[in-house]
Amino acid sequence: MAQAVVMPKPGNNVESCVLVSWKKRIGDQVEAGETLCEIETDKAVMAVDSAFSGSMLAQFFAEGEEVPVFTNIAAIGQPGEIVDALRPAGAPHESSSEPSAPPEVQSRESAHGPTSHVGVEYREPAISPRARRLADQNLVDVSTLAGSGPQGRIIERDVRAAVEQQQLMTPLAKRMVAQGGYDAPSHGTGPRGRILAADLAPSAAQTPEQQETDDYESIPVQGVRRVIAQRLLTSLQTTAQLTLTRSADAEALLTYRERLKASGEPLGLRDVTLGDLIHFVVSRVLKGHLDLNALFEEDIVHRFNSVNLAFAVDTPRGLIAPVVHSADSLSLSQISTECKRLTAACHDGTIAPADLSTGTFTVTNLGSLEIESFTPILNPPQVAILGVGGIFLKPVDEDGEVHFRKQMSLSLTFDHQAVDGAPAARFLQDLARGFAQVDLLLAV
Amino acid sequence: MTKLIPIDPAEARRSSVVAGREVPVNAYRSNPAREAQIFGRDGLVRIYRDMVYIREFETMLDRIKQEGAYQGITYDHLGPAHLSIGQEAAAVGQSYHLQAHDFIFGSHRSHGEILAKSLSAIAKLPEDNLIDVMERYMNGRPLRVVESFSRGGAKDLAVDYILYGTLAEIFGRENGFNKGMGGSMHAFFSPFGVMPNNAIVGGSADIAVGAALFKRVNRKPGLVVANIGDAAMGCGPVWEAFMFAAMDQFRTLWDSDLGGNPPIIFNFMNNFYGMGGQPQGETMAFGVLARVGMGVNPEAMHAERIDGYNPLAVADAVARKRSILEAGRGPALLDTVTYRFSGHSPSDASAYRDRSEIDLWRQQDGLFRYGQYLVENGHAYQSLLDDYQADITERLTRVLAAAVSEEVSPRICTENDGVGDLMFSNETRDRMEEGKPDVLIPLNESRLSQTRAKQRLGLDEQGNRLSGLRAVTYAEALFEAMIHRFYQDPTMIAYGEENRDWGGAFGVYRGLTECLPYHRLFNAPISEGAIVGTAVGYALSGGRVVAELMYCDFMGRAGDEIFNQMAKWQAMSAGVLHMPLVLRVSVGAKYGAQHSQDWSAMVAHVPGLKVMFPATPYDAKGMLNLALRGTDPVVFFESQRLYTEPETLEAGGVPVDYYEVELGEPAVRRAGNDLTIVTVGATLYRALEAASVLAQEHNLEAEVIDLRFLNPLNYEAIIASVRKTGRVVLASDACERGSFLHTVASNISQLAFDDLDAPVTVVGARNWITPPAEMEAAFFPQKEWIIDTIHERILPLAGHSLSTDQTTHEIVRRNREGT
Ligand SMILES: Cc1ncc(C[n+]2csc(CCOP(=O)(O)OP(=O)(O)O)c2C)c(N)n1
Repeated sequence: MAQAVVMPKPGNNVESCVLVSWKKRIGDQVEAGETLCEIETDKAVMAVDSAFSGSMLAQFFAEGEEVPVFTNIAAIGQPGEIVDALRPAGAPHESSSEPSAPPEVQSRESAHGPTSHVGVEYREPAISPRARRLADQNLVDVSTLAGSGPQGRIIERDVRAAVEQQQLMTPLAKRMVAQGGYDAPSHGTGPRGRILAADLAPSAAQTPEQQETDDYESIPVQGVRRVIAQRLLTSLQTTAQLTLTRSADAEALLTYRERLKASGEPLGLRDVTLGDLIHFVVSRVLKGHLDLNALFEEDIVHRFNSVNLAFAVDTPRGLIAPVVHSADSLSLSQISTECKRLTAACHDGTIAPADLSTGTFTVTNLGSLEIESFTPILNPPQVAILGVGGIFLKPVDEDGEVHFRKQMSLSLTFDHQAVDGAPAARFLQDLARGFAQVDLLLAV
Repeated sequence: MTKLIPIDPAEARRSSVVAGREVPVNAYRSNPAREAQIFGRDGLVRIYRDMVYIREFETMLDRIKQEGAYQGITYDHLGPAHLSIGQEAAAVGQSYHLQAHDFIFGSHRSHGEILAKSLSAIAKLPEDNLIDVMERYMNGRPLRVVESFSRGGAKDLAVDYILYGTLAEIFGRENGFNKGMGGSMHAFFSPFGVMPNNAIVGGSADIAVGAALFKRVNRKPGLVVANIGDAAMGCGPVWEAFMFAAMDQFRTLWDSDLGGNPPIIFNFMNNFYGMGGQPQGETMAFGVLARVGMGVNPEAMHAERIDGYNPLAVADAVARKRSILEAGRGPALLDTVTYRFSGHSPSDASAYRDRSEIDLWRQQDGLFRYGQYLVENGHAYQSLLDDYQADITERLTRVLAAAVSEEVSPRICTENDGVGDLMFSNETRDRMEEGKPDVLIPLNESRLSQTRAKQRLGLDEQGNRLSGLRAVTYAEALFEAMIHRFYQDPTMIAYGEENRDWGGAFGVYRGLTECLPYHRLFNAPISEGAIVGTAVGYALSGGRVVAELMYCDFMGRAGDEIFNQMAKWQAMSAGVLHMPLVLRVSVGAKYGAQHSQDWSAMVAHVPGLKVMFPATPYDAKGMLNLALRGTDPVVFFESQRLYTEPETLEAGGVPVDYYEVELGEPAVRRAGNDLTIVTVGATLYRALEAASVLAQEHNLEAEVIDLRFLNPLNYEAIIASVRKTGRVVLASDACERGSFLHTVASNISQLAFDDLDAPVTVVGARNWITPPAEMEAAFFPQKEWIIDTIHERILPLAGHSLSTDQTTHEIVRRNREGT
C-alpha cells in the first residue's frame, strides 16, 4: 500500500513550510533515509527524509508552494498503486495548478465613527476622589472652591471647610438640588440661614418647553411655582396645622388710617397702609404670646423674644415672604418704611437673602381681594401664620341693640404639635382687641 | 576558618610541583564471559529491551512533533520535546546498577533517564512494593487509568504506568507524574529515585549535591547522580557545585561516621553539542571534558571518560564510582561519550553538523551494536529482539491513546485557581523527620541562657532606650528562633559563608558553633549559587535548611537558584516536593554600591516565594519561627541597621517562649487618623520620627504600618487605615524605581480609590549606586524626605520649609534622566 510523506512540523510555532525543491522526481526509486525534498521555515532550510522505500508515486505540491504542516506532500509505494486517497483536500493536481479563488473578504465598516481626540480647553479644578465624594454627599459646588492641596488640588479639608460654612439645608431642599434643576443660594431664609426649598432658584439650564395640544394646555410645574408647590405640600404633610377664624372690629384701624392719611407732609405718615398697621399690631400682641412667635424643629420649640415678622408678597415671580427683623422694636412708621422697602425689593427681584431669613411669624393678607376667611398654610418651621381677610359690615350686639360695624376676618393657622388650641384662640382674642384699641398700643 | 587547621608558612612557601592524577579515557575492555557473569542473560537482555523502550518512546514523540501522528493516533503537542535518540545506552547503562533509593537528577533531555531508572527500579522491587507505590501516588488516580488498558502482571502494569505517567506529564495532563505542571523538561517520579529534571542548563548540578548532602547528614543510603550536558561545563553553578561537593571538611572536620564527602556523581552526557555550539573544540578548551576534574581536588574527582555507546561500560563505571562514594571519597566525574541522532529540538535544522557525521555515529548506533553483541554471544536470537520492537510499539500505542484522550487524561482545572493552589504547600511541621537532633550540649547550657537573661524590652521604666548589651537585640532574637528549631528538627542544618565560629558576618549564629556538630552548621565556599542550589536539593529531598547569603546584593550570584529553582519546584512538582528552605539575606549599609541594596522587589516578583522582612526584634523571632516551622521557601530579609537594636515597639518586649507572627499580617506601629505611612524594613524608624514631627509641628497624627510581609500579604489593615486617613505614603530603603512599594501603592489606589485625598506616594532610595557611608543620607530615605513628600504631593504643611525636592516635576525629571 502506498505511504504518505507528511510535511513535518519543525518547531513549536511553525504552521506551514515552503516546499523549496524536490530532490526526487515522480517515478524515482527512493530508499528509506534518503532526502525527498527541502523545506524552509522562517528560521532554516531543512531536508525531509523518507521513512519508506519505494517509488515516488505522486507529489501533491509544486516547488515554491507553502504547505501546512502535517499535510501529505507526496506518496511512495509500488508503481501503479492508486494514490488518490492520500491526496490532501485542496491540493492542486500536478497537472493543473489553478489558483483557487480568493476567499471573499467582507468589508466591515466600523459601527462607530472615528475616535477623535478633542483638545482639552477646559479642565475642572483638580480634586481628590475623597474630596469629590464628600462634595457630592454634601452638595458642595466644587467649582467655587479654591484647592489648598498640592498644585491647587481640592482636597478633603477644602470641602470640609465649605461644608461647615455651607448653609444648612432642609432635607427637601437637598433632595431637590440633588435631583437637579435647582441651584441653592449661599444663604437660606430658614432659621439660622437654613436653605429652604423656597429658596432654591431654578437652574438656568432648565427652561422647559411647553407642550400644547388641541384642547388643553400642559404647563410643567417648574421654577418658583414648583418650589411653592413642594413647600406647601411639605407644610401640609409634615405639620399638624389647623385654622381658627374670628372677626375683629376694624373701626379704630380705619379711623386711625384716615387720620394718618390726613396728617401733614412733614410727619411722613401719609403712606402708612392698613397692612402696616396690621403688622404693627401683630408685632406688639405677639410679645405677649411668644409660644406663637416660635419655630418647631426636630421636636424642639424655639421661642423668640423679638418678632421677626414675615409677610407674604405676591410678585410676578410668585409668593415671597420678606422679613421685618425685630418688628416689635420698630415704630409704626419704621415698620411701614421697612415693609415698603422689602415689598419693592421683592417686586424688582433685588431682595437680599438676609431679608428673607429667619422669620418667626408670618402675616398674609388677602383683604384687598375681598376674601371673607381662609386657611393660610403654615410656613414651617414657623408655628403660626395669620391670614387677614376683607373688611365687611357685620351686625354686632351692642347693649342689646344691633349695630353694623366694620369687621375684619382673621384666620390663624398654627401647628398643633407646638401650640394648643386655647392659647392660639387667646392670641386671636388679644389680636382683635389690639386692632380695636390700636391707638392705645401706639401709645405704649 | 577553623582553629583545627593551622596554616604553616614554611609549608605554604615550600617549593615543589603539583602532580596530576591521570584521567582514564575509555578504559573499559569488553569481556563477554565476565559480563555474562555480572549481568546474567536476563540482565543483558533487559538492557536491550530498556534501550528499545526509550528509542521507541522518543521516536513516537518525534513522529507526534514532526507529523502529528503515531500508529494512526493523531495529536498536536504544543510543548517541547528534546529527544535523546542515539543516547539510550548511556541512560540504561547508568541505571542498571542503581537502586530505587539512589537518586538521579537530569536535564531538558532526560526522558530516556526517567524510563531507564524506572525500568531498573521495576526490575528490582518486589511486586507488592510496586503496587503500593502506584496506589499511593496521587491517590492512585493515574494507576486507575493504566489498569484500564494494561495487560499482563504487576511488572507489566508498572512499566505501562511509567510510560503513561511520563507521557501524560509531557502532554501536560493531570494524570502526569507532576499533574502536567512540569512537562517534558521537568518530569520526574521520586518513588523510583527519579528526581527533578531541569530546563536550566547545569541546573541539576548543585541541586544534586544538596540531595547527596541530605543523604550524608541524615545517614540515608544511596548515591546521587547529576546528569547534565557537556555544555553545562561552562556554567558557573556547575563549578560551584564541584567546589561544594569536594570540600575538605567532609573528611577532615565532620564526624567520620557520617561517611565523608557527599555521594555524588557528576555525569556529563557528552553528546558534543550544546544546541549548536560545540564545547569540545569551539566554546571550551578542556579537550577531554574529564580533564576538568584535575583542577578540583587531588583525586581529580576520580574523573574518567567512558564509552556511552556501550551500556556495559557505563554500568561498570557507575559500579566502580559507587564504591568510591561509599568510602566517602567523592565527588566523582564521568564524561560519558554519546551522540544524539535527533536534533536538539524539533526546530533544529542541524545546520551546524554534516549529515556524514550523523551517519558515522548511526553506524555505531549503541542499540544496534548491542543487539549484535547479544546475538553474537548467544544471549538472544534476533527474532526475540524483533519481538521486543513489536511488543513495545503496541504497548506505546495503547499508552498514547490514553494519554491524548481529553476524557481519560484531562488537564488540571485552571478555573478556581487550580495552579494557584499548587504554589505553596502551607504546611507546618515541627520536624521534617522524627528522631533526636544531633547536638553537642544541652539547650540550657547554650548561649540561649544568656540571651534569655537579658532585658526583653529595650526600654526602661521611664521609656528610655536600653543599649543592646542589656536588652535582647534583633540579632539575638533571630538566634533564639534558630536554636529553637535546631533542637526540634533533626534534619535542620544551616550554612553559608563564615557561618561557623564567626557566627555569620553579623554574629547571628554566635553560640551555635558550641551546640552543633559540623554537619549541622558549617562554612560554605564562596559559591552563592551552590549555597542556594544545594539548599534547594537538601530541602526537596526532605530536610529543613537555612541558607545564608550575608548581603542581599549577593543574591545576584544565586539568581537562577532563587528564581528558577527555590521558587518553582513545589508547584512544578504539583506538591510532590516540599521546600522547607529559609534563605536569610541581609540588607546592608555603609559598604557602598555592592553591599547596600534592598532587592525585596525582585523576589516578591517571582511567583513561588514567601517574602518576609521583620523590622523589630519581636518580629525577627516570631517571623523566623514561622518560617522555620513551615514547608515553603522563604526569602527572609534582615537589615544591618537593626541587628543591634532592642525591642522598643512591642510593649511586652521579645517573649522568652516560642511564638509565631501571623503570616501575611502587617503591624500597625502607631495609630493616627490623618495620614498613613507604610514601611518595609528599617525605614520604619525614620517613619516614626517623621510621624512625631508631624504631630508636634503640624498637628497631624500619622498611622504607621510596618508591612513585615511582602508575600503573602493581607491588605485589609492597610485599606482600613487608608479608608480612615485618605492619605498614604510608602517608604523603604529599596531604590524607588521598581520598588515593591509601587505594587502596594498600585493596589491601594485600586482598593481605596474613592477614599484617597491625594495620590499614593512612594519614597524610596535614589535610583543611584549607593554612595560612600558619609553620603548615605542623600541616598536612603530620611524623615525629611517623607515630610517633604507629604508637603509636596499630599497635604501642604503650613510653615514647612523643604530640604529636598519631592515635586512631581522632579519625578518626571528623574525618570527622563533614568536616575
Ligand atoms: C541557563 C540556560 N542557558 C541556555 C539555555 C538554552 N539551552 C537549552 S539546551 C542548551 C544546550 C545544552 O547543551 P548540553 O548541556 O550539552 O545538553 P544537550 O542539549 O546536549 O543534551 C541551551 C543552550 C538554557 N536552557 N538554560
